[in-house]
Amino acid sequence: MRGALAFAWRSLVRQPARATLGILGVAAVGALLLDMLLLSQGLVTSMQDLLDSTGFDIRVAAQDPIPGEPDIADGPAAAAQIATLPSVSAAISVRTEDADIQIGSARPTRSAFVGVSGGRARPWTVLRGNDISPSPGGFGAARNHELVLNEDAARSIGAAPGSIVSVKAYCSGGAEAAPPISFRVTGIAEFPFDAPNQSGAGTTSASLADACGTPDSRAADIVMVTSAGDPDATASAIAALRPDLQTFTNNQAVGQLQQRGFTYFRQISTVLTTITVSFALLLITVLLTVSVNQRLGEVAALRALGFSQRRVVLDVLFESALIVGTGGLLSLPLGAALAIWLDSILKRMPNLPAALHFFVFDPNALWIHAGLLASTAVIAALYPMRIVARLPIAATLRDEVIG
Amino acid sequence: MAAHHQDEPVKASVFAAALAGAALATVTLAQTPDNPPSILVSRQLAELEQIAVGDQVRLATDEQGTDARVFRVAGIYEPTPDPMRLGAVPREVRLHLTDLLALTRDQATPAGTEHVESINVALHDPNEAGAFAADVNARMPGVFARPAIGAAGAGSTFVVLERFHLAIAAVTIVAATVFLLALSIMLVDERRATVGVLRLIGLPARRILVQVLLEGLLIASVGAIFGLMLAVASEGLINGFFQWRYDTALIFVKVTPTVAATCLAIAVPLGAAATVAASWALLRRSGLRLARR
Repeated sequence: MRGALAFAWRSLVRQPARATLGILGVAAVGALLLDMLLLSQGLVTSMQDLLDSTGFDIRVAAQDPIPGEPDIADGPAAAAQIATLPSVSAAISVRTEDADIQIGSARPTRSAFVGVSGGRARPWTVLRGNDISPSPGGFGAARNHELVLNEDAARSIGAAPGSIVSVKAYCSGGAEAAPPISFRVTGIAEFPFDAPNQSGAGTTSASLADACGTPDSRAADIVMVTSAGDPDATASAIAALRPDLQTFTNNQAVGQLQQRGFTYFRQISTVLTTITVSFALLLITVLLTVSVNQRLGEVAALRALGFSQRRVVLDVLFESALIVGTGGLLSLPLGAALAIWLDSILKRMPNLPAALHFFVFDPNALWIHAGLLASTAVIAALYPMRIVARLPIAATLRDEVIG
Repeated sequence: MAAHHQDEPVKASVFAAALAGAALATVTLAQTPDNPPSILVSRQLAELEQIAVGDQVRLATDEQGTDARVFRVAGIYEPTPDPMRLGAVPREVRLHLTDLLALTRDQATPAGTEHVESINVALHDPNEAGAFAADVNARMPGVFARPAIGAAGAGSTFVVLERFHLAIAAVTIVAATVFLLALSIMLVDERRATVGVLRLIGLPARRILVQVLLEGLLIASVGAIFGLMLAVASEGLINGFFQWRYDTALIFVKVTPTVAATCLAIAVPLGAAATVAASWALLRRSGLRLARR
């Protein structure tokens, strides 16, 4: 076995140009193959990670959301009701609108403006300064309005913790804005679903309602829930408690996205994986076949010297394995670099969260990649192995001498 | 939103003509026959619920059928293919804007004060779209007008996907070129004795190189044309499969003259160049050395 491997290595080294080009070709194809395998599940894995990173494992939404309108009429009450369940650790209602935020009369920045209520859990992480205080007095009561800004919003308007900003909200998809009101910036926060260069701000639902000019509005888009243990059981308990709402766990949400939104990348991944493997198979077969055909006399001479049929067949197989194996190893760093490049292209899609990635490393993808390349090496070697195995020794030697 | 030929409500999206907004409604078969306003129903919804032209249906904004109104199905339409909604079966109804507003208006909202999300404008001269938009923006603060062409901008989803496809194509071309070079080297090597004899009988290296170039051009052209024929032949299969899979009229693959010309412009020179590059090293050797066994 070791002898056959060494012999195959010498065959490749003897013709460095064709061996190098073969290996480079496999490396390029292997890199593309690896990326397509990463792409097939990358978005789903990344979305799952993103959802899990928020600390909420269940989402509750309206059964029939109307575009541009807040979906749940009694968001804070629904969150409070859900929070009473023993299997629920925390529940907050979330409403998102648009707002222009500015300091004084400086140029405003258009931001996503998130209002939350219920408990102390927040769908953002404070990076500097402090978090907002819970609303004193509830909806409609006079209060000091506080908000947190994301880095982009703070940079755009030059705000820092302690700054007083003016907020003009555009609510329920309408073009008319309520009169601007003042907010104190308590801190700078990171919002997990922020798109690159997207300004964002967070406050309480009551303050958001004030900014919208509808201080009594309890509307919310969604209720986010942290279960105390089993998310599926908790989701069932919530569904039983509020059958008028739609409850889904992070896994179910990702499953729905996988069924609807992410089909394109799964399809293109499948198509390109098939094409890539077929392409590699065809070309390696041709490379090996032409190579073997050029060495028929040499193979016949080896057989005449006493090399067994099994031995010369193994030579061809190992030659294929060396080309594909070396190319496959090279394809890993090449594929990683290519994945970063392709990811940077796809991430220019509008409104995608900055933390979302299309290509995510997955050990399973690596195993499948290795398996597909190994199969390619074996299948590509079948035909040239057959040629070598059935080679008539005497006739070939005679032809070589006469030719 | 829902639609049904029996009395069970079926959910469907409702769009108003001349209104780029959507609302939710419940659609049920109606019993009242007196000249109701007309609507269009998407093919998918009509097939799903066996709704036919001339049927009367009730539309409501909730599943309970509160304040339902009767409409007559004036026609079945094929929804404009929307790649952003791939995988979602378009169960849609289209109706006149006034009918939609009447159906969805809050009781506290006086008629005529509702808001719409956008207004589509068709100009007599489409080339004036930019100037018209600028004029509207100057005259009507609070309204934002822009030409429909290019409105999505350079960062739109499909522009990004096009760049992604180009990147994939570039990597594929690199891989194919490397393999092509390897194959060319082997094929040229196979003919080293023939080339050696040609050199020995007096043909200059330049003459043989031209011959190799012409041969490479011929093979590359035939290969590229075969590839295009394969692409054209598979175009129907791929579109047929995905249109069936997603129940859409969207065209997934289209071999346009520009695409075909680009393929030829890349493949033919690349094939010929690979053949010449592979032959170059061989032709620098002497005829005797090449012809030697």
